Amino acid sequence: MSDNILARAGKMHGDKIECREKYKAQLEIKTHRDYVLNLLTWLKSERYVHLSFMSCIDWIEENEFELVWHVFSYESKNHILVKTRLNREKPWMHTAINIWPHVQPYEQEIHEMFGVYFPGNPDLSGLFLHNWLDLPPLRKDFIAKDYSLALYTTDALGLTPPFDDIDIVEITAEESRDGE
Amino acid sequence: MYLPDGYTTLDKISENDDYAVYDLFFGPNHPGMHGNFGYVLDMVGTEILRVRPNAGQLHRGFEKAMENKLWAQNLSLIPRVCVPDPDPNEVAYCQAVEAILGVEIPRRARYIRSIVLEMSRLGSFLMGMGGVGGALGHYSTMYLMMIDRDLILDLFEALTGGRVYHIYNIPGGVRRDIPDGWTDKLLELCDRLESKLPEWDRLLYENPVVQDRLGGLGYISAEEAMSSGITGPSLRACGVKADVRIDTPYAAYDEIEINSKLSEGGDALARAVQVRLDFEEAVNIIRRLVKQLPDGDYKLDLGNISKLRVPKGDAYSKVEASKGEFGYYVVSDGGLKPYRVSVRGPSMPAGMYLCHKHLRGMKIDDVAVWMASFAICPPDIDR
Amino acid sequence: MSLGERSFFVPFSTLANLFKKPETIAYPKEDLDVHGVKGPSLKYRGMHANDHDVCIGCGNCSTVCPTAAINMISTGVNDAELTGANAQRPTVDYGRCCFCAFCVDACPSGSLTMTREYIFTRASEKESPLEELIWKCDEFTLEPGSRWSENPGWQCHGEETWLDLERSHMEHMTPEKRVGSFIEFVLGFTKEEALREAARCIECGICTKTCPANMGIPEYIRGIYDNDLEESVRVMYETNPLPGICGRICTHKCESVCAISHKGEPVAIRWLKRYAIDALGPDKVAEIASSAKEMFSPSGKKVAIIGAGPAGLSAAYYLSTMGHGVTVFERMPKAGGTMRYGIPAYRLPDESIDNDVRAMAEMGVDFRMKTRVGTDVSFESLRKDYDAVLVAVGFPMGRSTRIENHDHPDTGLAILLLNQIRLGEEIPVHENIVIIGGGNVAMDIARSMARLQKVKYGKVSIILTCLEGEGEMPADNEEIEESIEEGIIINPGWAPKAIELDDDGKIKGLKCARCLRVFDENRRFNPKIDEDDLTFYPGTQVVEAIGQASDYTFLSEDDLAAMGHERGRFKVSDGMDSGLKGVFIAGDIVHGPDVIHAVADGHKAARSIDTLFNQG
Repeated sequence: MSDNILARAGKMHGDKIECREKYKAQLEIKTHRDYVLNLLTWLKSERYVHLSFMSCIDWIEENEFELVWHVFSYESKNHILVKTRLNREKPWMHTAINIWPHVQPYEQEIHEMFGVYFPGNPDLSGLFLHNWLDLPPLRKDFIAKDYSLALYTTDALGLTPPFDDIDIVEITAEESRDGE
Repeated sequence: MYLPDGYTTLDKISENDDYAVYDLFFGPNHPGMHGNFGYVLDMVGTEILRVRPNAGQLHRGFEKAMENKLWAQNLSLIPRVCVPDPDPNEVAYCQAVEAILGVEIPRRARYIRSIVLEMSRLGSFLMGMGGVGGALGHYSTMYLMMIDRDLILDLFEALTGGRVYHIYNIPGGVRRDIPDGWTDKLLELCDRLESKLPEWDRLLYENPVVQDRLGGLGYISAEEAMSSGITGPSLRACGVKADVRIDTPYAAYDEIEINSKLSEGGDALARAVQVRLDFEEAVNIIRRLVKQLPDGDYKLDLGNISKLRVPKGDAYSKVEASKGEFGYYVVSDGGLKPYRVSVRGPSMPAGMYLCHKHLRGMKIDDVAVWMASFAICPPDIDR
Repeated sequence: MSLGERSFFVPFSTLANLFKKPETIAYPKEDLDVHGVKGPSLKYRGMHANDHDVCIGCGNCSTVCPTAAINMISTGVNDAELTGANAQRPTVDYGRCCFCAFCVDACPSGSLTMTREYIFTRASEKESPLEELIWKCDEFTLEPGSRWSENPGWQCHGEETWLDLERSHMEHMTPEKRVGSFIEFVLGFTKEEALREAARCIECGICTKTCPANMGIPEYIRGIYDNDLEESVRVMYETNPLPGICGRICTHKCESVCAISHKGEPVAIRWLKRYAIDALGPDKVAEIASSAKEMFSPSGKKVAIIGAGPAGLSAAYYLSTMGHGVTVFERMPKAGGTMRYGIPAYRLPDESIDNDVRAMAEMGVDFRMKTRVGTDVSFESLRKDYDAVLVAVGFPMGRSTRIENHDHPDTGLAILLLNQIRLGEEIPVHENIVIIGGGNVAMDIARSMARLQKVKYGKVSIILTCLEGEGEMPADNEEIEESIEEGIIINPGWAPKAIELDDDGKIKGLKCARCLRVFDENRRFNPKIDEDDLTFYPGTQVVEAIGQASDYTFLSEDDLAAMGHERGRFKVSDGMDSGLKGVFIAGDIVHGPDVIHAVADGHKAARSIDTLFNQG
């Protein structure tokens, strides 16, 4: 059930967007940050009423964040990935809560996990992380292992384990074969 | 007042001559709460004034962890995103990987995946329906449903070796073929589940207490449900014929007849009835799948799976889970590990957004029922 | 519906449940009975079991474990003493294990399985269990063994495995086509095929241990897999300066121990090496080869190497990278030794040898061709003029069976005939040929003669016979298979008795007796022959390919004795140095005919020569 959305989008928005069909019933539209809201509004008016969710990708080598809005139409059954790139140094994006109010927690999450700022979103407080002081954790330059080592080794916790007490039980191959 | 160590009183937020507002943490220790999630409720008496979702107590950084594991290794992690309904996660992830790889899996593998998905749906529905019963205090219903869910888990154990976390799908198909005689047992189970439906109807859906408690609770219109990201049975309960299995067919659903019935009303009762209708249909779908199950390979030869390298690209794959649309957005930079895996859980719109609208003015007794009716499963919010 | 409509007796219907069979079970008195057996299903993913006799310690379970629960621990055995296995075994930390069974599906030997046992308990010693849990969590780390193995659960056989058991396709010429010419018939991997083949490797490193030259096989395969061929070739040159040659004709002992070979076909290590060299191109390879030289400044020392075979070339390369001046003396017109003048061109084309030798010539190695030590230049003068001498002369001569009529003009020695073919000389080719010998040289001469027959007579008629029975033949299996494909008839298990002549004095055929066994109980060569069981192979030409011999005429009796000469070979120390000061020995004359051993010897000799120089 095709609604020729790509052709119509090309006609409507011209050179402001770049679109292609990725897979069957899965389309991709790339656009500039300032044009995203126009595009999303237009898509919603074209019966792309379902905003599935929003995600963000950290392209650290290109020094950019990529935001992806997933919209779906129950009529044409097409899934569209609306993508835009943000500068990683100062990432911000217009909020879309006036188009889809339930985008609020997604933006809140992306703000928390990537540090992308959404002016207009009423609540960008911490959602998942408590007392977080480090880099936003889903950024590629946040290394989870280093963070854990810095925070949770016995030294960092100020603990002195009674390591002397430990008799490490090693089951030798023979014992194991005897079935104990 | 005496309080043992570690206990605190309710925080009083404000007070005037007529009433005081207290902060109630409706959290994991509440018996009506599913999992490690919480709402901070501002209460006046038993009425809710304001709600703040409190996520994060379950946050395990799945999306980050997946970036540090091999493509196939992730499959041991993925079912944990949704505990009662793990297979949609596995299938959605595998389908996304297969889409980027540009491969088509064998027909038998698609059928086996569909069977596993429907079984998982049945198990999850039983838990969900039982959860509605449990939230209302109808514990017998819950226990009876748990018995039948266990029988489904027995079949999962025989097929996949695990009861809860099946870790059964891999990119390219499934890990093992169906053992001999397994489908007969599955059909027997279908008969048993179907024969149980009248009992459940009597216990739950025709129960006047249930009808009174659920009727009118958490009403949402079709238009609003569609534009606020509600999917699955909750959306169908508003009379919208929306089902990923039909809209974007995956696995074997393009070859299988699906006669979803719709309940109407958009309230908690309609949602509960919708789950029951979907349950009945899922049993029939399994029968059709088993009947049409083709011979052939159960997986595609992708070489050494632990050295699978997925070309640069991205794909979104979605699956109709018991709670709604479960989707995986997978991005690859051409390496041995995913560059980014983003999970779309079905609970986020209701659990994080609709709660602000619906819980306001609600009695505290209804919070657990409301959550059960929207099948809010915290692990897919806190992933 | 309202409550009022229901019967008064409805609540009593609950009593019926009293007589129902309960749905729950009283574990552990009862157990589940739904899977046809008591307890969990037959595929249950419970505690691990590991068959230590089958386990090869490859560590793949540890690699694929998504929760890092599996660690490899040493068994205490010296790793180097084990062949085809590493001296390590997996331990499972059950505090981390998620029972996904990926380790079982990825186990190449099939030793690791999961059982239907799922309860692990241990007695508590401390009063406070918390204290134990925190600091004694190591006790949840178990080494899977035969415990629980009588109750098997999740297993992995054959096609269910994560490994890729089948080799990537490689294009060969058809037997009909290839037997008509000496063109190389193995066409090599394409890029896709090579990537797929490289992905099969699980990087266990058992091959490295087995390779005489200890090549970094997992590392260079990884380089190919990562599409970093330069890195791959750099790794090769660390231990083998003749990768282009070894990529074609190496005896690939690595492949015989490959972890994948336990369930499927081994990784085509040799062909992957060849792919990396061919795909990168000779210019780039030569550049990488000579880049190692920049690390050392010239030492001013001079080394003479006798023989430009694999051992000599290998030593020349490494000595040259260490900054020493190297002169190679070779009696033949071109470098390569047996590789050039013994191995037929359809297996090893001249360009491959030229490319590998070119890299050395560019590094400044001085090649003195057509210079025979002993006649053109004396061994003593070499010892006098150079700081060290390496003897790597190999086995250029053939050996004869010395049966009746072995000196008939229509007989020949394989190695000499191969030599002549490679030099482009015309050799006599009869219509029906009998070949004696079951090694790779016998296959080489048989297949070369087959090609010549095909050209001359349009058909192949060769009978090959050898002492060893079927399955014992020293030749590589693929050589045997390919020979049979090319129309050569192989009759193993016969001992040659006499070459029979007809009345005109022409060869009529070979008379053979049944050979019952080749080696005695002490693994010593001592054939037992049944003289009554005779057979006769007709043919007018007989070629003997039963072994090679060396030519030590340039050495004096005293030198030979001092250098540890014994029955055609030399006994040397680990450093390849002989009894004579400054004289080193390497290659076939130490370890028998094998190209990769020779390369390893050359490297070893180069290192000990370098040590000698450093000691002053």
